Amino acid sequence: MSRILTMSRAGREALDWEMERRPEIFCLGEDVFKFGGIFGTMDGFGAKYGPERVISTPISETGFIGMAAGAAMAGMHPVVDLAYIDFIGVCYNVLLNCASKTHYMSGGSVKVPMTLLIGTGGGYNNAAQHSQCLHATVAHIPGAKVVYPSNAYDAKGMLHTALRDENFVIFLTHKGTAGVGWMGTPIKTTLSEVPDEPYTVPFGKVKVYREGRDVTITGLGMSVHESLKAAEELEKEGISAEVVDLRSLVPLDREGIIASVAKTGRLIVTDEDYLSYGVSGEVITTVTERDPGLFRRPPVRVTTPDIPIPFSRPMEQAILPLAGRIAEAARKLMA
Amino acid sequence: MTTPVTIPQDLWDEDDKTGSIVVWLYKDGAEVKEGDLIAEVLVEKVTLELLAPASGTLRIKVQPEVVVNKGDEVAVIE
Amino acid sequence: MQLTAEQRKGLLRTMALSRAFDDAMIALYWEGKLPIFQFGAGPLPGELHCSNGAEPVGAGICAALGPDDMITADHRPHHVAVARGVDLDRMAAELLGKKPGLSQGKGGHMHIYDPSVNFASSGIIAEGMAVAAGMALARRLQKRPGVAVAFIGEGAANQGAFHEVCNMVGLWKLPVIVVVQDNEWGVSTAKSESTAVERNADRAAGYAMAGEWVGTNDPDDIHAAAARAVARARAGEGGTILEVKTARLTGHFMGDQQAYIPEQMKQVDPIPPYREKLIREGVLTADEADAIEAEAKARMARAMAFAKAAPYPEPAEAFDHVFAGEAA
Ligand SMILES: Cc1ncc(C[n+]2csc(CCOP(=O)(O)OP(=O)(O)O)c2C)c(N)n1
Ligand SMILES: [Mg+2]
Repeated sequence: MSRILTMSRAGREALDWEMERRPEIFCLGEDVFKFGGIFGTMDGFGAKYGPERVISTPISETGFIGMAAGAAMAGMHPVVDLAYIDFIGVCYNVLLNCASKTHYMSGGSVKVPMTLLIGTGGGYNNAAQHSQCLHATVAHIPGAKVVYPSNAYDAKGMLHTALRDENFVIFLTHKGTAGVGWMGTPIKTTLSEVPDEPYTVPFGKVKVYREGRDVTITGLGMSVHESLKAAEELEKEGISAEVVDLRSLVPLDREGIIASVAKTGRLIVTDEDYLSYGVSGEVITTVTERDPGLFRRPPVRVTTPDIPIPFSRPMEQAILPLAGRIAEAARKLMA
Repeated sequence: MTTPVTIPQDLWDEDDKTGSIVVWLYKDGAEVKEGDLIAEVLVEKVTLELLAPASGTLRIKVQPEVVVNKGDEVAVIE
Repeated sequence: MQLTAEQRKGLLRTMALSRAFDDAMIALYWEGKLPIFQFGAGPLPGELHCSNGAEPVGAGICAALGPDDMITADHRPHHVAVARGVDLDRMAAELLGKKPGLSQGKGGHMHIYDPSVNFASSGIIAEGMAVAAGMALARRLQKRPGVAVAFIGEGAANQGAFHEVCNMVGLWKLPVIVVVQDNEWGVSTAKSESTAVERNADRAAGYAMAGEWVGTNDPDDIHAAAARAVARARAGEGGTILEVKTARLTGHFMGDQQAYIPEQMKQVDPIPPYREKLIREGVLTADEADAIEAEAKARMARAMAFAKAAPYPEPAEAFDHVFAGEAA
């Protein structure tokens, strides 16, 4: 059987299934016992698994995320909810120097299997400290896997994969894609038919949402859905866009990106993270290093510019990589 | 025999508030079992669950993003 | 330092104005967001953390401060900002994302800055701890007067920054007052579920700071404790952790159902008791109290009218103010 689920509900199924069978998995984070985490991934788990395995913490991120790393070294698999990625600022050392590097520094003798759930992104007027994506800031750390599903099917399959991984996995979800009530009605393209049974979706494989001939549009999290909207518009104008969801930053499916650009010859990289020193540059470089001749036209980036996210709606809407900007970039590329 | 799927009077507290269907978990015409979660309902910022009152074929009458009140018939199960 | 009758009327006035501000924002919040909830819609988009119940803390503490003193507040800043005299029209406009707002629409309700009254706030928990201590350090280096006050919640007192900064304040005898607003809750987590000690004021001993605990949510008592802390700071005797048992009457943020709050933990509105107390003690009459509340509402209505009528910033203004020293 399968049902049509939101990402929130799909992720919860994966975690629930794994927790039922594996005592080493436990949940940690602010308000997780009563509120079930930012995306409801642990909704109802307090009642089901009790306060020993679903631990609401004080607002002490360096402490409890560092403790998760320690518990992982000691044989557990913690699942930590960090709510908003903006908060990595107060606990970054754990990500940067501890959970990500211990396996390497120990010559492979110490493992840190833990899953860090984090919400990203803006678009709902929550200003500069609660709207960032910052996925490049975590993907830049060697030793941390970073994945970023954009639909319910992948949310479930990739969470199963994360929970069975022996490494530190940063599991990102754009707040606008999760299908949680407080973000309003979910975007249709985030919903999918999700089987009852457990299944895994491997890391490091792009997902081609829709095939196209003229231009490759890569996306990540929310920008996948804006790209899909743009592709629909473009189709009416006779432009055939291929929408590719990177969905995993570390490992990154470089061959998948190259294969699409080899077909279309044109590339638009969409990214809600800041423009410079980030994923958009990485994607373009991936193709360029293989063969700059694959580009029939210079590649284009449609991202959030290098500015803090402004609060006020007219300003925020103007700087996000929304469908209108993406479609406009495609038209120019085809002109 | 058809069973109406209505928004239960006790799904949320305040009578004057309205909600909307967020997502149908099954497609129109799908087979559902009594007690299955069939839809999510949003009231202000809170997501609530709508369960199937009977087993049978789901016929959806109200799509997401339409205002619903308590007691509204949003589907039938045939 | 005893408060005069006039000063106590002022405290009621401040609390009433703060309440009028939040009530007006609450009334506006759902506009455009319902019937089908949309977070970023309506005239007041995004998250909103209101201060209803915490007004005595803003009023009582700020009444003990002078113009040289400096304040940092947190994600729930309105009551402190109002008490500090942050421009009400421009603050209202900022919440609505308008051009004449304090930050020209860049900040929103968690990021209220008004350098003219030395006020700043941040949405990152306990960020203001270090910032306040740094402001105090600057004044010491500049050989200028000024006490710095960090307003935080009891939840924030478990953040690393709280403990690091308290240690340095104690070590260097900095003129810093840490106001811990204990409203019992950090989102859905009760203080007893998050904090190893009953009173954060007791933690002061571990940092060579003074501890003050006020259990009443009454601005007279809060002011008295603040006045002692300010006197110590000005005399070079260092910092204070001043904890106040206060209230959070309208949930963590708008839309918080608060189903996690048991009946016996329901909190009391501090404004009516203070009003009654002032009437009882002959400080003012009921009519005068009514007039104060009516004036507050009228003042807020003007601020809201200003905010609503004000224009939005142009989209291109998003690119201004990234760096200082560059023409906008
Ligand atoms: C570093 C950081 N972690 C988590 C959050 C999310 N958050 C916002 S307010 C809040 C609760 C704060 O509780 P408290 O300090 O008691 O203040 P109150 O809301 O009660 O006024 C939390 C956890 C945040 N903004 N920053
Ligand atoms: Mg609190």
